[in-house]
Amino acid sequence: MKASVLVIDDSLTVRQQVAAILKAVGYDVIEACDGLAGLEAVRAQTGIAMILCDVNMPRMDGLEFLEHFKGENSAPSVPVVMLTTNGTPDLIARAKRAGARGWIVKPFQADLLVGAVRRIVGDAARNSAAQNGAVG
Amino acid sequence: MSGKSTEERLNEILAVCLAELVRDLGAKPTWLPERQPEFGSGEILAAFIGFGSDDVRGSFTLIGQPRVFARLHPIPAEGNNRDLADWARELANQAVGRFKNRVLAYGLAIAVSSPQSILAEQVRVTKTQKQLRTPLVIGIDDMALETWLELDVRSDFTLAEKPSSPTDAVLAEGSLVLF
Repeated sequence: MKASVLVIDDSLTVRQQVAAILKAVGYDVIEACDGLAGLEAVRAQTGIAMILCDVNMPRMDGLEFLEHFKGENSAPSVPVVMLTTNGTPDLIARAKRAGARGWIVKPFQADLLVGAVRRIVGDAARNSAAQNGAVG
Repeated sequence: MSGKSTEERLNEILAVCLAELVRDLGAKPTWLPERQPEFGSGEILAAFIGFGSDDVRGSFTLIGQPRVFARLHPIPAEGNNRDLADWARELANQAVGRFKNRVLAYGLAIAVSSPQSILAEQVRVTKTQKQLRTPLVIGIDDMALETWLELDVRSDFTLAEKPSSPTDAVLAEGSLVLF
């Protein structure tokens, strides 16, 4: 079964670009156009292995999404990586405090993105397996 | 002291950011200081984005034929005008995002709005109340991308002469860090 990555970005172009890159290396991609749509997607979908999230978006920005998502009970352990034009230390620190797993500054290199997704989804799968083993 | 005003320096920083972005997207920008915009007939795309702080308020506008935005599009196979309008907004967002990252090192922290775009037969940038409105035309292959920067700078505000220390530096474009 393919791992699913949720891409939250108000730019259709960026969503298409990320989806094309990740689908080409074997991931399923779910898309959401802002933080609110992202929250709806994570509430409706199970099995999301990772979230890539823009910061500057209408309705609900990426950091608000992150803080809401990590504060909810539904799968808060799903790793979130911010994918944004911003590289400012205050926003990066806020994301880190809220539980983000990483930060990528656009425009991104496809190979770096794939490497990060592979590493993080792999880590998440191992952690999930370990947790299931401990419970079982 | 450079002898340049804060407005001139901000304009230069944005011009550098835009040139870097165009290069990152695989094109070679050429400054066309003498060129007047000549879009001819047909559809024009414009994307604009606002930004501001306590000290500086402004907006940035990109104007060009859809094909110049198509030339910079990261997925060449795509390219209807709806997609290109979305891409024009993202391009404006990435240009001003880069500008935001750079000016922070000079003591200016700005917030950026959500970008907007229009597709029209004719686009004209009208005079506003801003203190400074600077046009800049960039050649990309045989096409032109017109940009406008509008600025209001508080009279007692000046950019730092030099960027702050590397420990305060922002993450560069294309960077990836995992926590």
